[in-house]
Amino acid sequence: MDKSGQKPKEPAVGPPGAPGGCAGCGGEGGQAEGKGLGRKLSRSRPWVQAGFLGLWLAPLGQWLHGIPGCVFHCYSCPLSALACPVGVLANYAALLPVAPEMPCLLLGVLLVVGAASGSLACGWACPFGFLQDLLGKLTPGKITLPAWTGHSRYAVLLGLVILLPLILGYKGIRFDDQAVSICRLCPAGALEAGLPYSVQGLLTGQGWMMSWFKSALLLAFVAAALFIHRPWCRLFCPLGGLLALFNRLSLFQLRFNPKECVQCNLCRSRCSMGVKVDQKVNVSGCIRCLECTTCGAIEPHLATPKS
Amino acid sequence: MLRRVPQPPVNPALRDLEQHDFWAGFAMALAGLILVVCGARHLTAIETVEGGTAWETQLVKAFSSGGLRFPEQLIPAPPPKGNDPAALERWAKQNSQYSAPTWKVRVDAGATTPCPT
Repeated sequence: MDKSGQKPKEPAVGPPGAPGGCAGCGGEGGQAEGKGLGRKLSRSRPWVQAGFLGLWLAPLGQWLHGIPGCVFHCYSCPLSALACPVGVLANYAALLPVAPEMPCLLLGVLLVVGAASGSLACGWACPFGFLQDLLGKLTPGKITLPAWTGHSRYAVLLGLVILLPLILGYKGIRFDDQAVSICRLCPAGALEAGLPYSVQGLLTGQGWMMSWFKSALLLAFVAAALFIHRPWCRLFCPLGGLLALFNRLSLFQLRFNPKECVQCNLCRSRCSMGVKVDQKVNVSGCIRCLECTTCGAIEPHLATPKS
Repeated sequence: MLRRVPQPPVNPALRDLEQHDFWAGFAMALAGLILVVCGARHLTAIETVEGGTAWETQLVKAFSSGGLRFPEQLIPAPPPKGNDPAALERWAKQNSQYSAPTWKVRVDAGATTPCPT
């Protein structure tokens, strides 16, 4: 008891794994809530994602297909506003033997977005990530993948997006004719372009237009998204892997505030990407959903010259 | 319901604060901005079907709308099978003007094929 007769606030440092051990989250009932800014960010994220979805699906459509976007969204989608950066990069690679061109716009867009915010676009703006988030909400339990599996994204980036189109391009096979390419294996293309056109084909009597392979791929992806959080982002997304490389030096960054940390492990528990937030947070496995900021010890921060 | 992940003991005082430099990110963002501006005004070395040179934006759009044209698409059809002299004459007349193109790829800025792959 203190002088005012009130019980002093206990440092709520609970043992790891114990419920209600977080000072910032207000006991067991509020442990998933967190505090302040982090809680607001967590609540507002689906709305921001929905807003960006409206932007990427803008009926301006073809007008902006000359500009690569910064999120994973198939440019063959009937309502896509911008060009898919991955598809554009693969096309440039395939065209290199015939007409070597510098992809200034693509590199510029990726550099600006990556250097400004790292993989923030993955967590807050990517329509395909949003869709996986929504699919993930349908089932309660998720399979946890080890963090090293995220390196496969770089194999996809180097192998499928750059080297394979380049090699096949040297053999004289145009990108559209390549039997194996990122676009032929991409579930976003199957969902955002193949599915709408196939449904349209069914309605107009042309039949199902998507190949059985791509249809099966789409089904497998949906099934995986029900049981693994963001399987495409974690295992295969070459764009996410590329943007995440900027996480260590982007202007927008996450900082650790030791004064706020009570070792409640809420930050790590809320991370659905399996990042060991208690050790390091600006890493390539992070999609910057900012769920880890809920506890208050991890703070979003914009770097300035003085900081 | 949140499932807590067991966490090894952490000493917050010893943990890296993860503060990093402003200038590296700023320089990269600036370089990206310059590339975007250059890209928007970048004339490629690729010709358009209509004549002239394609802008980079036209090339990117051609990727997404099946707008790349290759010489092999213009190769004339093989001569008709059989000994019909009229058909052979028609084929010869159709292809009398054909000469192998000197260009390797062209951009059709008006192409609107929705899903080239």
